[in-house]
Amino acid sequence: MPPLEKPQHTKPFKLRKSFATRKQEVAGIRSKFPTKIPVIIERYTREKYLPPLDKTKFLVPQELSMTQFVTIIRNRMSLMPSQAFYLLINNNGLASMSLTMAQVYKDHKDDDGFLYMTYASQEMFGNSVVKTRVT
Amino acid sequence: MVYTMRVREGFGGNERSRCWRSANYPTVVMNSVSPTAAQYQGGGMQDEGLASLPERRRTPSWEPRGHFGHGAGSEANREAPGEPDEVDRLKAKLMSAWNNVKYGWSVKSKTSFNKTSPLTLLGHSFVLNHEDEVERFRLAFVSRLWLTYRREFPQLEGSTLTTDCGWGCMLRSGQMLLAQGLLVHLLPPGWMWLDAQQLTDVDIEVLKPRSPSRAGGVPIPSFPTVRTPNSAPRGRSNALSEGSTRVQRTRTESSRDRHTEATHRRMASWFGDQPQAPFGVHQLVELGRSSGKKAGDWYGPSVVAHILRKAVAKTSEIHNLAVYVAQDCTVYKEDVVQLCDQSLAEGSSESSPGWKSVILLVPVRLGGESLNPAYINCVKNILRLECCIGIIGGKPKHSLFFIGFQDEQLLYLDPHYCQAVVDVTQDNFPLESFHCSSPRKMNFSRMDPSCTIGFYAKSQKDFESLCSAVSAALSSSTEKYPIFTFVEGQGQNYGMEGQSGPPGNSPAHIIPPARPSRSTKRSSVDDFVFL
Repeated sequence: MPPLEKPQHTKPFKLRKSFATRKQEVAGIRSKFPTKIPVIIERYTREKYLPPLDKTKFLVPQELSMTQFVTIIRNRMSLMPSQAFYLLINNNGLASMSLTMAQVYKDHKDDDGFLYMTYASQEMFGNSVVKTRVT
Repeated sequence: MVYTMRVREGFGGNERSRCWRSANYPTVVMNSVSPTAAQYQGGGMQDEGLASLPERRRTPSWEPRGHFGHGAGSEANREAPGEPDEVDRLKAKLMSAWNNVKYGWSVKSKTSFNKTSPLTLLGHSFVLNHEDEVERFRLAFVSRLWLTYRREFPQLEGSTLTTDCGWGCMLRSGQMLLAQGLLVHLLPPGWMWLDAQQLTDVDIEVLKPRSPSRAGGVPIPSFPTVRTPNSAPRGRSNALSEGSTRVQRTRTESSRDRHTEATHRRMASWFGDQPQAPFGVHQLVELGRSSGKKAGDWYGPSVVAHILRKAVAKTSEIHNLAVYVAQDCTVYKEDVVQLCDQSLAEGSSESSPGWKSVILLVPVRLGGESLNPAYINCVKNILRLECCIGIIGGKPKHSLFFIGFQDEQLLYLDPHYCQAVVDVTQDNFPLESFHCSSPRKMNFSRMDPSCTIGFYAKSQKDFESLCSAVSAALSSSTEKYPIFTFVEGQGQNYGMEGQSGPPGNSPAHIIPPARPSRSTKRSSVDDFVFL
């Protein structure tokens, strides 16, 4: 295994807070900002190359496109354009960049009212035996 | 394990398989052995090149991971120029064996192909129930360029490494993807290598019930497992049946034939492992520096896509070809036009204003920890497209070049085979080690989600039809959204920075982290970040 930087977050958001708390949080924020979408963005647990984000909870204008959203997050991490960065909805599927946040939210919001996204780069490939020797 | 059994049932139950098998293609009927089974077979490393070293082979005490049992490596030894004495020969063989044990994944196993379901190879479909079809498949498969680990090449700059064994597999896969793009770019449509080896992979030794996976039931059909080493005489196309008349025809057109063969050879030389080669490992490692990579590092499919882009832009060997790498799963069509339309390029007046052919590379991530099964169908449909030149990815930590599929298995070329370097500066350098005669498959479920998909379009019209064909293939996913999209216009119009400049013109600004004024003002909404 390539050297891992220690993940600073122990548990994912969903495990840190109960369903009731999360639901309540969404209800609270939605009542104040009905046109904004509550999004949880977390680093893929095995991510080794992208930096951690300082925040996990985002309130996003619903008309924002995925492209714009990704650009904002990329900038926040000061990534080079050529650096691989993917937002996976529910840690599973890619979101189409032309969609608006409202569309993605409609299709994929969690029962608690948040939209969950994981960011990840790409895996690297090589033979682990040699890797440990080289590094 | 489950799938291997199923596949075996597929042909085991069909006795008619003998008809075509008994002919010259014993190797296509092969046993799929899953990696689990491979563990059991690790000790059985019979390789024709090693026949003289029966004891040494078995000495390694670590867990043998088997090896890539092609015999192609031993051939590389055989053909290596100027190996004067037997000691050197043995040494080379021993090194080869060692490297294969060390870096090889697959075992001396056979890959079985279902003869009723279609086998797709880069936009072409084969049903292997007929000799002619098998022959067609053989030519199509073996004609792909195969780039593998190499050893004993000139030292890589800034390191002492003279081999990429163990770390360069993704670069090799990338080379194969580019090579496939160049092949369709430079060679006539439907080109086949006339000296293509017979498919290999049949080893009578391993057909003996070594593998527990076999004990369970379906008998291995007793086909004549003729060993067909790569060194077998050339010109097998003489023996081709009517199905390959096209091949024979081109055979007679000798001048054109010579020309394409020269191009083929020149192309292989571009991937030679020496500093001057435009797409050799030396050049690629050099170009990876700006992405923070160095010799000995692991590479990813996206990094490699950018390295390939730079390599093609840099070389003077190839004109009329550009590489576009999509960012954020989006192909901006106007950006491709900018790249390809030479009438838009500065100072284009003197050169013929035209359209550059384009290799389109789309790095994606098809899931978190593992491949999202919803994308399998989509990947299949992409591989069915003629404009697709393959997918570089792999299974975790083990890069492969995917070029097709059959049923639930991907067909691939594996770079994990350490061959001696070939001096491509020599006239008539041997080409055999640049082609693989052993088709391999793996289950889709083992595919690593990180990959880069490659396409090629020769003309502007081709690019337009590529867009619609690929879009149609992409919409086949059962996942709600496509893997990637084509968008009219340029990236910069969509809030993408052209360069890595400051995020000044981004359409929405985010509040810098931990700005106190915000948190006090919005104390009620605690730690939400407002975009």
